[in-house]
Amino acid sequence: MSDNSSGKENWKKGVEKLLKGDKAESLNRQSPEGFEIQALYDSEDVSNRNVDPGYPGEFPFTRGPYSSMYTQRPWTIRQYAGFSTAEESNKFYRQALEKGQKGLSVAFDLATHRGYDSDHPRVVGDVGKAGVAIDSVEDMKILFDGIPLDKMSVSMTMNGAVIPIMAAYIVAAEEQGVSTEKLSGTIQNDILKEFMVRNTYIYPPQESMRLVSDIIEYTSEKMPRFNSISISGYHMQEAGADSALELAFTLADGLEYVKTAVESGLDVDAFAPRLSFFFAIGMNFLMEVSKLRAARTLWAELMKEHFEPKNQKSLMLRTHCQTSGWSLTAQDPLNNVVRTTIEAMAAVLGGTQSLHTNSYDEAISLPTETSSRIARNTQTIIQEETDITHTVDPLGGSYAIESMTHDLKEKAKTIINEVMEMGGMAKAIEEGYPKRKIEESAAIKQAGIDKGDITIVGVNKYVNEKEDPVDILDIDNTGVRDGQVDLIDEIKAKRDKVATKEALLAITEAARSGEGNILDLAVEATRRRATVGEISTALEQAWGRHTATNQTIKGVYESVYKSDKGYQEIKSKIDAFSEEEGRRPRILVVKMGQDGHDRGAKVVATAFADMGFDVDVGPLFSTPEEAAKQAIENDVHVIGVSTLAAGHKTLIPDLVKILKKEEAGDIIIVAGGVIPVQDYDFLYEAGVSAIFGPGTNIPKAASKVIDEIRAKKA
Amino acid sequence: MTIDELAKGVQEGKRRHLAKAITLVESNREADQQTAQDLISKVRSAKETIRVGISGVPGVGKSTFIEALGNLLIEEGLKVAVLAVDPSSPATGGSILGDKTRMETLSSKDEAFIRPSPTSGTLGGVAKRTRESMMLCEAAGYDVILVETVGVGQSEFEVASMVDCFLVLMLPGAGDSLQGIKRGIMEIIDILVINKADGDQEKMAKNAVTEYQNAFHLLTPKYDGIGVDFLTVSSIKKKRIDEAWEKIQGFISALKEKGIFEAQRKEQELNWFKRLVEDEVLRRLWGSETNKEKAAELVEQIKKGEITPVKAAYDFLSSEISR
Ligand code: B12
Ligand SMILES: Nc1nc2c(ncn2[C@@H]2O[C@H](COP(=O)(O)OP(=O)(O)OP(=O)(O)O)[C@@H](O)[C@H]2O)c(=O)[nH]1
Ligand SMILES: [Mg+2]
Repeated sequence: MSDNSSGKENWKKGVEKLLKGDKAESLNRQSPEGFEIQALYDSEDVSNRNVDPGYPGEFPFTRGPYSSMYTQRPWTIRQYAGFSTAEESNKFYRQALEKGQKGLSVAFDLATHRGYDSDHPRVVGDVGKAGVAIDSVEDMKILFDGIPLDKMSVSMTMNGAVIPIMAAYIVAAEEQGVSTEKLSGTIQNDILKEFMVRNTYIYPPQESMRLVSDIIEYTSEKMPRFNSISISGYHMQEAGADSALELAFTLADGLEYVKTAVESGLDVDAFAPRLSFFFAIGMNFLMEVSKLRAARTLWAELMKEHFEPKNQKSLMLRTHCQTSGWSLTAQDPLNNVVRTTIEAMAAVLGGTQSLHTNSYDEAISLPTETSSRIARNTQTIIQEETDITHTVDPLGGSYAIESMTHDLKEKAKTIINEVMEMGGMAKAIEEGYPKRKIEESAAIKQAGIDKGDITIVGVNKYVNEKEDPVDILDIDNTGVRDGQVDLIDEIKAKRDKVATKEALLAITEAARSGEGNILDLAVEATRRRATVGEISTALEQAWGRHTATNQTIKGVYESVYKSDKGYQEIKSKIDAFSEEEGRRPRILVVKMGQDGHDRGAKVVATAFADMGFDVDVGPLFSTPEEAAKQAIENDVHVIGVSTLAAGHKTLIPDLVKILKKEEAGDIIIVAGGVIPVQDYDFLYEAGVSAIFGPGTNIPKAASKVIDEIRAKKA
Repeated sequence: MTIDELAKGVQEGKRRHLAKAITLVESNREADQQTAQDLISKVRSAKETIRVGISGVPGVGKSTFIEALGNLLIEEGLKVAVLAVDPSSPATGGSILGDKTRMETLSSKDEAFIRPSPTSGTLGGVAKRTRESMMLCEAAGYDVILVETVGVGQSEFEVASMVDCFLVLMLPGAGDSLQGIKRGIMEIIDILVINKADGDQEKMAKNAVTEYQNAFHLLTPKYDGIGVDFLTVSSIKKKRIDEAWEKIQGFISALKEKGIFEAQRKEQELNWFKRLVEDEVLRRLWGSETNKEKAAELVEQIKKGEITPVKAAYDFLSSEISR
């Protein structure tokens, strides 16, 4: 150690010789998070930062929440899945459990997420498409048929319609003969990030927070083995956040929930041990390992500082992780197996408690049987064929990892402090601050990829000339919908109408008065066969449906791209069009149906505006009628439909039909998003002029759109 | 579509035709200018209309207010057109327009027509296109025209000069905003609405009204006997929006009773005529090729110090200025 400094000097000299004169520091990189990644870290970096990672299972839990970690029992393989009907999903779960999966994780369809029964007119394109359709406890019972709920830990990704879904789960268990105290699992119940990035909110923020807190209260009394919330950063990263933003906003959300529960009268130790977290793991391997370690450390410190719990477990951050879907490509999709493996290793080396690994067809459609099997095996291989599980926190003590853990933690702390100054996360969200930050970050990333500064193999470098077609899972949503509607009708015919109505009224009343526990009341209504949609409506009657304030950003995309020659050429092309036409090309970017994926739409909108389009941004959840009306009134040249949740085959033909009827057939339609190649011809025949899939280079798309407008005019 | 067809469609209240007609009057293309005028002269409104300008700083809640007010008007059986003008569009590149997302229910109603307009690089500025679009909407049968404009630059003065009633939204917390209030704005306000009077801000909003009342007290009123009106609303909670509408109607009736209403519309037209002539003279002055060349020549000479600016100006004006 004593000649450390001369050692470092020698190293620098060596590097500078190799660099032929450039400084060694020139190899350092600026991370998107806003701190420097050094080309080399040494013991001095660790001691300067005053880092002592301590021991696993001990405060501040940098090295892991448990002392034995995977040496005793590996993480839980928990694959997120769900599609079409309860029967189909049940069959899929039972197979997966046979093949080594340990816990269940239910993906609901978007109609359910948004509190609509399958027979609601706003969800024709959505039923059973992006997850399983659950309208009532009868569906829930089928979903868990043959799966003992006292033994199986069940995770449910539900936030908006969290009340009726929790109730259906509780009553399904009850009718299986399992009482609430035996239930184990997790409900996502993290509404704050819905307003930021995930977009399956239903009620306004304040009212929604009441539901979160009612659930925390209910579970802390009756479901001791159940995690009442899964505070999620995952969706933030997938929406564009860098690791520091993801970490900071997630922990700030966590603090907000704890504060709300404490203010509602709960003792922090009564519920804090049942809080769980959820992070995304992307391709920045070292950063992601550091992120999980930093998350545990910072949470422990923050909880201690703000709430002084007595129970050590209240300080302990336990997390689920999912590999990044955003990092996966539609091009050369088998590359995704490799990406997912690298990410899975980062999650594990960071010490996750459970993990979902994505399938290689992620950017194409819902996974098939084959792609799901490989995704699951990616984890079993790491668990059972490698030595990674043999040592706790094997990267602990690495100069680089310890330094980065520290730097990331500090960066996140700064952001959390900013949020605190705004009055906490709920206030910051109201002001749109975190969403704006995330969208800016997404635009910067997109420009980096389009320009070629960020490499994505198979997309902007080493492109595979001939793509082989990939088998896809195609769901017949009309079929699913018809089946669901029949079941709803049957339930409604059989039940005691008066009793159901009373139970629903009690919910509305409790929502209005602020008295009582809403989950408690919903459980009763569910016993009386009230549907998911009816319980949601009962709350909506008191609180209304929330509509988001759509912010837009301008100039961020261009700031990265400006100097590029190709980019300037596109701009000139658009300017020339504007000269001829007497106005700028005008595009309406719309999202139809319950599809809440808005990252692509937002990025395309801001980039198109930077390049010279006049861009109208439609609200989320439009119907084809609403989209057509807006397009007509604004007299756009083109409607750009961004569609990722597989509603395109229903919604786009509808849109075309309405435009024709309104004598607006001259408005052209282009579509972008997750659209399997198998569907292209169908859409072209329906009247779509151009399709832009994942990995689309935006300036090229803009140029093509101009060509299409011109072609239509000719 | 011929001009006659277009005019007929507008007059019949067809959405598609109205939209196309607005595009035509917004066009920067030289060839469209005359056609647009032909169109305007072919359409005419058959009923009484109310034109309301709605202004205020970015984020004060104009769009949210319009969402609430517009829905109320529709419930009363009226048809509403909204023209949203955003003069803050950047000099280069296009605009990104998200206003309609804040008028979600209104924008889906049959009785509403909403048109946000980008304004970067337009001929004649905000005023020309908006005034003409307003006339088209009236011809298409809309009873109330709401013009939303951000309180930035000159746009609010221009909008004020083309509406019957000019309403400004303010945030609670008067002390601060009173200082921030732009010069000349106080003189053109007819109704001052404090928005976001909800939650913890309700009380603050009430206090703000008092402060504003005191401040406005010192001004000479815009119209004899009609003072500025004040109220607090919450656009998001839809509180006292009906009162806002009553105040607008009250103001309009007062104008009518005093015989100012029609006179003001006429005067606005006369001013508009003058403005147009001036603008057109300027446009022709700098637009003609010979003038451009001549000016460029003189500019070079001024730069080199070969001629004084005054002499150059005389030379330019005495040379052949187009027509
Ligand atoms: C990010 C993401 C999310 C984020 C969304 C964050 C946000 N605010 O957008 C989160 C984590 C919240 C999320 C949630 C869900 N997701 Co998701 N998600 C993705 C993911 C991984 C990437 C999408 C993305 O944003 N890519 C980056 C953007 C920039 O790309 P893009 O949208 O494709 O846009 C590009 C082009 O397509 C094109 N383009 C797109 N639109 C337009 C428009 C015009 C005019 C033009 C010119 C071009 C254009 O240009 C863009 C630039 O290159 C995809 C899989 C994938 N890799 O594509 C799944 C995916 C879309 N999700 C899926 C599902 C099922 C869900 C959920 C419904 C899961 C559930 N049951 O709970 C939820 C619900 C979300 C909701 N409210 O709708 C499925 C959809 C399945 C299907 N189509 O059959 C996918 C395909 C994953 C999968 N294979 O299962 N998701
Ligand atoms: N609390 C509260 N918030 C409001 C109210 N009205 C609007 N807001 C919020 O204020 C923000 C801005 O509202 P907008 O209606 O878009 O404001 P605007 O003046 O049209 O904004 P620009 O068009 O960008 O100039 C949004 O987040 C609204 O939800 C209100 O009455 N109370
Ligand atoms: Mg607005």
